[in-house]
Order: sequence, then C-alpha cells, then structure tokens
Amino acid sequence: MSAPEPDGSDIKVKKLFRKTTFGVFMLFGAIGLSTSILNVYTVDTHLSEEYISNSKGIAKTIADASVDILLNRDLAALQSLIDQFLEIQGIRYIYIANESGEFIAHTFVPGIPEEILQSDPLSTETVERSLPGLGDFVEVGNPILAGVAGTVRVGMDRGLIALKIQRAIGQQMWLFVVVGAIGVVAAIWLVNLAAKPMARLMVYAVSLARDDEPANAELLDRDDEVGHLARLFRHFADQRSSGGQ
Amino acid sequence: MLTRRTLLACGLAAPWFPLRAATDFGGVSKDEFVLGTSAAFSGPSRGLGIELYRGAMAYFEHVNRAGGIGGRRIRQKIYDDGYQPDPAVTNSTTLMVEDQVFLLFGYVGTPTVTRVLPLLKKFQDRDMYLFFPFTGAAPQREPPYGDFAFNLRASYGQETAGLVDNFVAVGRRRIAVFYQADAYGRSGWAGVRKALARHGAQIVGEATYRRGTKFTSVMRDQVNILKAADPEAVICIGSYAACAAFARDAVDFGLNVPLANLSFVGSENMLKLLSEGRDDAERYTDLLVNSQVVPSYEDVSIPAVQEYRDLMARYNPEVPAQLVTEEYTPFAHSFVSLEGFLDAKLMVEILRRLGDDPSREGLEQAVFTIRDFDLGIGERVSFGPERRQGLQGVYYTVVDQGRFVTLDDWDRRFANVGA
Repeated sequence: MSAPEPDGSDIKVKKLFRKTTFGVFMLFGAIGLSTSILNVYTVDTHLSEEYISNSKGIAKTIADASVDILLNRDLAALQSLIDQFLEIQGIRYIYIANESGEFIAHTFVPGIPEEILQSDPLSTETVERSLPGLGDFVEVGNPILAGVAGTVRVGMDRGLIALKIQRAIGQQMWLFVVVGAIGVVAAIWLVNLAAKPMARLMVYAVSLARDDEPANAELLDRDDEVGHLARLFRHFADQRSSGGQ
Repeated sequence: MLTRRTLLACGLAAPWFPLRAATDFGGVSKDEFVLGTSAAFSGPSRGLGIELYRGAMAYFEHVNRAGGIGGRRIRQKIYDDGYQPDPAVTNSTTLMVEDQVFLLFGYVGTPTVTRVLPLLKKFQDRDMYLFFPFTGAAPQREPPYGDFAFNLRASYGQETAGLVDNFVAVGRRRIAVFYQADAYGRSGWAGVRKALARHGAQIVGEATYRRGTKFTSVMRDQVNILKAADPEAVICIGSYAACAAFARDAVDFGLNVPLANLSFVGSENMLKLLSEGRDDAERYTDLLVNSQVVPSYEDVSIPAVQEYRDLMARYNPEVPAQLVTEEYTPFAHSFVSLEGFLDAKLMVEILRRLGDDPSREGLEQAVFTIRDFDLGIGERVSFGPERRQGLQGVYYTVVDQGRFVTLDDWDRRFANVGA
C-alpha cells in the first residue's frame, strides 16, 4: 500500500474560513433582522404613545389658554396662540372649532383639507389621518371649557416617527456592521489559531507514514488534543513497524 | 460700599428705599426724547416699515430743525424685525430694558404687535406704552392689552365692515376671504365674518398663504379653492407681495371678481408689482378696491396732505444705512408714509403736552387731553380712558390710470365685473 501523499500545507483551511465567515454573517444577519423588527415595533409603539400623550397635553394647554381669549372673542389672539404652538417639533397643524362646529382658527395653508372639513370638528377622539399632499398624522382633540366653548385639535406628523425609526434602525445597522466585521476578523484569527497545530500534526503524520525522520516531534509533548493525536499516530506507526518485523 | 443691589441681596431694601432710580427706563433727557421702533425693514414686507418710517421722519425732522419740543429733539431707536414675531419680541425687550426708550412708536404688523403686547403688560409698572402701531387688529384695542397701546388708525373691523357693506349694497353677498395664516389674517377674517353675519350671510370660501410669501410664488391652489366657492367678491387680508401674486393668478386662472385689500397691504407697492414691466396691467388692477385709513395723498385740498407733501419733498427721509439690507426704491408719496406722517404729528403734540418736565408717568394723561384735535385731515382726533383709537374714517380707492384714486361709485365700478 502506497503512503498517503497529502502535504500539511494543503489543508483546506479556506473552506473552514468560508464556513466560519458564512456562519458569523448568518448569525449576525439573523440577530440584526430580528432585533430590527423588534426595534421598529418598540420605537413605533413608544413614540406613537409619547406623541399622542404630548399632543393631548398640548391640546389641553391650548384649550385651557383659549378660554379667556374665546370669551373675549379675540380671534387674532387665538390665532397667535396656536401659531406659537406650531413651532413645537412634530406639530403640523392645529385647528379650533367653536361650539357650533365652525372653524374659527387654524394653521392650514392653502386651506382646510377636505377630509377635515368632512369630519366632526367637535370630536375629542384620537384618530389617524392621511391627508393628501400633507402626510400621515395622529390627531388628538381636547374640549374647551368642557366642550361648551368648542374643541381644539392637534395634528402630529407621523412622518417624524418614521424618520426617527429610520434613524434608530440605521444606527443599529451601523453597530451590527462594525460588530460583524470585528466578529469576522476574530473568527479568522481563531480559525488560524486552531488550524496551525492541525497543519503541523498533518505534517507529522505524513512523515510517520513515509517513515521519514518525524517532523514536528515536539507535538508529542503537547497536553491537548493535538498532542494526544500525535502520540496516537506515533503509537500506530510503532505498531506497524513492530508488526512488519 | 453699600449698593442698592447689595441691599436687595441682603433683603434690606425696605419699601422706603426706591427700587427704581429716576434715570431707569427714562428715554428722555434735557436734549432729546428717544422713541423705540421695531418694524419690517427687510423681507417681502419691508416696504411697509420703510414707508411708515419715512413719513414719520419727515415730520420729526421738521420739528427737530425747528428746535424740537421744548429744546428736546426726537430721536428714533430702530430695529428690524422683518415682520416676524420673535425678533419683534427680542427688539422690544432690548428697547425697553437696554436702550431705555421713552415709549414705543411706529411698530408694523399684527403678528408682531400681538406678541409684544404681553411685554408691555409685564412692564406696566414702568408706564411703557405703544403708540400708533401700523395694524388695525383687535388685541391692542381690547382687554387685556388695550390699556397699553394707543391707536390712531381705524381698525380692521371697521375696514372689513365697510368693504362688506359696500359689496352687499351692490348685490355681491357671496364673499370669500384670502388671508395670511396668522393673527393679522385671522383678525381680518373675523371682521369679514362679523360684518357678513349682520347681513345674514357667511364667508363662502377661504384660502390662506404663509407670511413672507413673495410675489414670485404661485397662488393657483388658493385661486382654485376660492373659485370652487363661486364668490362674487374676495376680500384679501395680506401684505403687498402675496396679495399682488394672488391678484395676478386670480386673473390668469379665471377668478374675475372684485378683489378688496385692507390698508395694511401697502397699495403703492402692490400696484408697482402688478404694473411693472406690463403693457396689460389694467387686467390685473381693474379688479382691485383697497380700503385706506388715511385720505388720498393726491388730495392737496386737505391741509395735512399738503403739509405732508411739502415736508416729504423737503426732507426726503431715508432709512438709516445699517437697516438697508435689501434693495428698495421708496415712493415719493404713499398711503403708508402719510399714515406715518400723521402718527408723528400726533405724537409730537402729545409730547408737547407733557410740559417742561416730561415723564413717562404723565404720558397717559397727556394723551387723554387730546380732544377734538385737528390733525388737518378733516376728521378730529379724541382720546380718553374708553377711547384709545383716534380716527374712525375708512376710505376706498381703486386704480385709475396707474394710480389709486378715491372710489365714488361702487355700482358703476363693479357692475360688469365677473358678469
């Protein structure tokens, strides 16, 4: 039987690398995807809740501040009041209807959207609106003077929530890319670390098979799996030699 | 050394210790009165601030060259707010606290003045008043801030009521409103609504634009919104750039009905935008009817108008160079500068009535001594605790041969428009 010919340097470490790298990528991909989905859901839910809560607070503040102004019938001051609230990030529109449902102050340009004209301006329910040309909104309402003086409604831009989600996911993706790259480098280094003694063991085994002067004989002194295998190979070689005599 | 601040810090400032030194928040010395102004000298509405200032300065310059008031010259400390509320508030704070002006004078605009009024209330213990703002809005005429301002011009309520009454009188009851989306626009909108209610009618349609809109902007959306309401007239509550853009697009997109504008619009600037470089300017200007709160500057039979024209020609006031950031060619005469001139004339009379030892504490009483005062425009001016607006008159003008003239016959002018 002819001796096996493989050389230690021919060990297919690259295949091992590829599998390891692929595994790392798959792992990070799965983690990234699942956490992104979870994050989108969490950020969306929390921001929406926060937005609705803030909007209700703002609507209540406007409603409380509007009472005297409405009773004084000073609509210019009322408009000035809601214009100031429009400067708060996320608030895209505010409108106030009197007790008859007439729009007496609003911030729409070039006009009040048809969807809002058709809705009940005295409602205090929270609704989600999609206004053509303007975007998607969460709209909350608050009664003025328990509703007998009218209602104020505030529209918060859902586009801002989407933007914040995009930013959060974008930042998360960057983190995964960085951690993933570090993981791949670490995997290559670890695989290399494991492959080098294996390659030397292979050279040692080949030298035994060829009855050459054993190369890498220091492997016999190792106290690990490589050392055990080297000693095993040595034992088989010794048995083969004694059996042959 | 024990200073007043040290005493205050130690809680030792007893009631007998004056918390405010006599020189604090003075604005008056043996040489001058210092009046504080924040107005639009930049942006699309800069023509209003510039013209109002020029008209006032023509009279102040005249008084100063004649020796001032009891030897005191009148000096204006001016800041540009660009017709924006936040800079107006900042400027006013600076004027009152740092510059320590004697009073505030010649402000421009409802959204700016509306935001400044609470400051006046805050400083009410210093007797700080705002005189003759260029706005007809309600907040500085009514509680809770009406006590801190004195107005000369008629209100937007009076202007819009007059426009509505005249339109209704010629059979145009379906009235729509085009307005600036802020306190000024809302003030005019409320005036139209109230006036229509008296006739048993409602606003049939409304469209808005953002403050700061330029003449180059397209108003097609606004025109389409109003066209859908099928109005017989549109009352515009805006400034000249936006209202000129709307008038242009209304004609171009087929909304051929009378377009009324309030005095704040700045008629000459509006006319200039619609006429400049056009051979067919009448297409756009024939529909206009602008209300004014001062008589026509063309009517030299009115003594104050003749005086205004003389002093404008003699002094040709210019805005201080540091406030000129954008190109602007002033008008020889305009309704806005005439209003500024009348504001200044009445202001001088009030300062004169403060006597030899003028103080801010005496300002309100000095104003209340103005009874049946002849400004030289025919209508006499009176003030009192319950009367903080001097003039009530509203005039209506239309464009004829490239200039605004008094409208005498509404029926004849608009009989065939939109028919």
